[in-house]
Amino acid sequence: MNKFLRKASFASVAVGALMIPLSAFAFQDAPSLAGKGFPPVDERLPDDPEVVTPMSGVGTYGGTIRRFLSGSNDHNSFLRFVGPQGLTRWKSDFSQVIPNVAESWELNEVSSEFTFHLRKGMKWSDGHPFTADDIMFFVEDLLHNKEFYPNPPARFVVGGEVMTAEKIDDYTVKLKFAASYGTFLTELATPLAQEPVLWAMHYCQQFHPKYNSDVQSLVDSSEAVEDWPSLFRLNCGEVEAPNRWSNAERPTLDPWVVTGDGYSAGSTQVIMERNPYFWQVDTAGNQLPYVDTLQWGVSQDAQAILLEAIAGNVDMQARRIANLSNTPVLYENQEKGGYKLFERAFADSNDMAIHFNHTHKDPVMREFLRNKDVRVALSLGIDREEIIDIVYQGVGEPWQIGPLPQHVLYNEKLGRQHTDFDPDRANELLDAAGYSEKNGDGIRLLPNGEPIIFNVNYPGVETPHHGDSLEIIKDRWQDIGIGLNATSVERSIYYSRGEANEHDFMVWGAPGGLDPTLSPRDVLAVHPQASWFAIPWTRWYLSGGTEGEEPTESMKKRLELYDAFKSEADPEKGLEIFREIHRIAADEFEIIGITQRPNAFGVVNAKLRNVPEVIPGSWMYPDPAPTLPQTYYYAE
Amino acid sequence: MIWRFIIKRILWMIPFMFAVSVVAFLLIQAPPGDYLTTYIAKLGESNELLDQASIDNLRARFGLDQPLYVQYFKWVSNLVVGDFGMSFEWRQPVSDLVWERMGLTMCLSFATLLFTWAVAFPIGVYSAVRKYSIGDYIATTIGFIGLATPNFLLALILMYIGVVHFGADVGGLFSPEYKNAPWSWGKVWNLIEHLWLPVVVLGTSATASLIRIMRANLLDELNKPYVDTARAKGLSEFWLIMKYPVRVALNPFISTIGWVLPNLVSGAVVTAIVLSLPTAGPLMLQALLSQDMYLAGAFVLLLSSLTVIGMLISDILLVLLDPRVKYE
Repeated sequence: MNKFLRKASFASVAVGALMIPLSAFAFQDAPSLAGKGFPPVDERLPDDPEVVTPMSGVGTYGGTIRRFLSGSNDHNSFLRFVGPQGLTRWKSDFSQVIPNVAESWELNEVSSEFTFHLRKGMKWSDGHPFTADDIMFFVEDLLHNKEFYPNPPARFVVGGEVMTAEKIDDYTVKLKFAASYGTFLTELATPLAQEPVLWAMHYCQQFHPKYNSDVQSLVDSSEAVEDWPSLFRLNCGEVEAPNRWSNAERPTLDPWVVTGDGYSAGSTQVIMERNPYFWQVDTAGNQLPYVDTLQWGVSQDAQAILLEAIAGNVDMQARRIANLSNTPVLYENQEKGGYKLFERAFADSNDMAIHFNHTHKDPVMREFLRNKDVRVALSLGIDREEIIDIVYQGVGEPWQIGPLPQHVLYNEKLGRQHTDFDPDRANELLDAAGYSEKNGDGIRLLPNGEPIIFNVNYPGVETPHHGDSLEIIKDRWQDIGIGLNATSVERSIYYSRGEANEHDFMVWGAPGGLDPTLSPRDVLAVHPQASWFAIPWTRWYLSGGTEGEEPTESMKKRLELYDAFKSEADPEKGLEIFREIHRIAADEFEIIGITQRPNAFGVVNAKLRNVPEVIPGSWMYPDPAPTLPQTYYYAE
Repeated sequence: MIWRFIIKRILWMIPFMFAVSVVAFLLIQAPPGDYLTTYIAKLGESNELLDQASIDNLRARFGLDQPLYVQYFKWVSNLVVGDFGMSFEWRQPVSDLVWERMGLTMCLSFATLLFTWAVAFPIGVYSAVRKYSIGDYIATTIGFIGLATPNFLLALILMYIGVVHFGADVGGLFSPEYKNAPWSWGKVWNLIEHLWLPVVVLGTSATASLIRIMRANLLDELNKPYVDTARAKGLSEFWLIMKYPVRVALNPFISTIGWVLPNLVSGAVVTAIVLSLPTAGPLMLQALLSQDMYLAGAFVLLLSSLTVIGMLISDILLVLLDPRVKYE
């Protein structure tokens, strides 16, 4: 796909060629496990452990990787490093989905039934076998339990029917849907879709009334817990919450497991130790991970984390420190801090997109914004180079939305149309569109006599630089007779305004640069909180037409295509469908953008190996986990 | 008589705390949206989509779909039996979270208080007695700088110097090897090694203002006739000053205890964040920011009750120390 992807695949070919059949070796494990009373490594590993090819070479055991959490609300930092160990995972180049906890799978012809083969002899981190029963436990006792999930998560619901499961044998399980669900395997690789293999039945059943008739007494004796689902989640964790990392007794399938009290509001440091039962080995038969310990400091202030990084106290991290303004100081201190930089290639399409509200509550304003010539004029009226020079330190590229040039779905029109600065043409377009009347300040008038002044909010704490860009846009738009008032607001107020459909336009990044099929919210009205160009359309779509507002024909066509995409199992056909969606979106030109998001840099200890020089940065590809931190090791 | 005074004050606390609980609850509800709005916004920042089903589940689980008064009474009735509820953000019982942080918070606050007194008292007395001397000017200058410099800025500068020039490890109260270790002499010593920085940073502005107060109060006293009388009677200068005017001027020192207790919770939030101190302030700020209702509510209640208790203690001490203060 792009530069680093090719590099990675060359490396794997090279190592693969040297690979000797595994059966020639017995397995080896970390010296630090010796004398701790564990069974021999061959008994701890599955019969057929997953053999991982390290990026640049087989490593050696030992050492500690130090990272920093930012105070509270940072539990996904664990998830992103330890990895969402779901049934499937991303290939490290983000190009496709490969087996993870599942060894392999088969689909039926209409891709509504998925048969997963598990690894025989695979074990939870406490040594208890991991089998089909654990998946059955999730589907039958949790997913279908109205007390646990009053509304089952959307990813397990197709055609209004909740996923069901059938146990074929101890290591084979079939997941069934009411209709085709071609993207299910991809869905399982996203960071929050590992519920089927998150909960160890042998441990978690003690918090379930079906298996423990006395669960109520446990509920009564635990403070702040009022029912068994809360008790269950408190002890067994939930996918996206800190409590997942706060119980050291909870068995997991992760390469490292928390120790002690784990992560809670009082933590000043979290230590994770290697999982002696981890189910991956390298090409030489060494059980992974290489590194013994993860040490997570806690620092509420991002500047303090930056300081720790400069001082060389951070071994591998981009989170909270990788941004444009930190790059010079990180670069400068490399030698002193004993670290190198790695590039975080943001999967975002645009750093700052302008999401015009096509469903504006004021009909006159709505008509204005729905006029494509008006949007073209507004886009031509922005001097993107000027913004890039002033706000982005000259790093950036004028850009609208859609897949980046290195992506297979790249659509030049969607990304580059109308990005030049042409105020004369913009004025012509606006005059021709019937907005030629101006008031005394030179601002154009709407047919009802109101001047055209956008009142816009942006979350100034999270994205202060959007405020700077808006000031520049304001000056340029003044020249084409358009007014703009930008005010900074708190983030949740910002979101509430959007959800209430009270905005002229929203200012936020646009995802979908490297993950266009996973984050299509700017070309499809599908995200109820962030498809800001038409929130009522998303309600219409998600409610099956009973709520919200009926979209335009063009959007309805795209949503139909999207439904077809979701049930399509053939990736090539899926891409073809998305090309069509992008073609239509490019013609409609609903949203405009300023610049591609400049890459930022994280730090990596100069001695740490197997860390790629460029790592895609995205939520759907929860970096750096898909690059397999369990294969990182320290060179002598 | 003093007992009647104390009991009366304690009884008054009950209706007061009730009023505080109402105000606290309303305050936390005042910003638009609720915890879930913030949560959605936070997830949205990383482009994650939370489906409507999950949002509805969470809203029902946290009781946020119920009317305000129902939420309030549920909270208060649990409070009466000592159940502070569940923190939305941490999905853990609130009381665990709060008490986990109070120990070190108290340790730090009292260390800071002692530091403040130990520095402010002698300097304050000195600069009053030797008014307009070189020493007074130096103390005054340092005092003004201490007052004028924001604590967090001082913290950042000291941290930068520590890291860049001395390679010291500065954030937090312990070195990494002691952070999760059980208490031992080594850990205590490690704490002391780390404590001086936050104590100095947190103490500077309070020290500076106490020096000014001490100086001003003592200056008022020094010119009074009873001082001249005592001096005329031949009392040594040191005993004279210590025994009479200083005792009178000491009142503000005692009054500080009143605000030291609430400061345990809310004091120096920004500084604590910068220094990565595991104290209560940063947690409370985060709870308020994320509209983590029960956690924030517990902190606001704790803050109010500590203020009340702190005021009571300082009033009692004042009565004991200064016979002129009357209770009625």
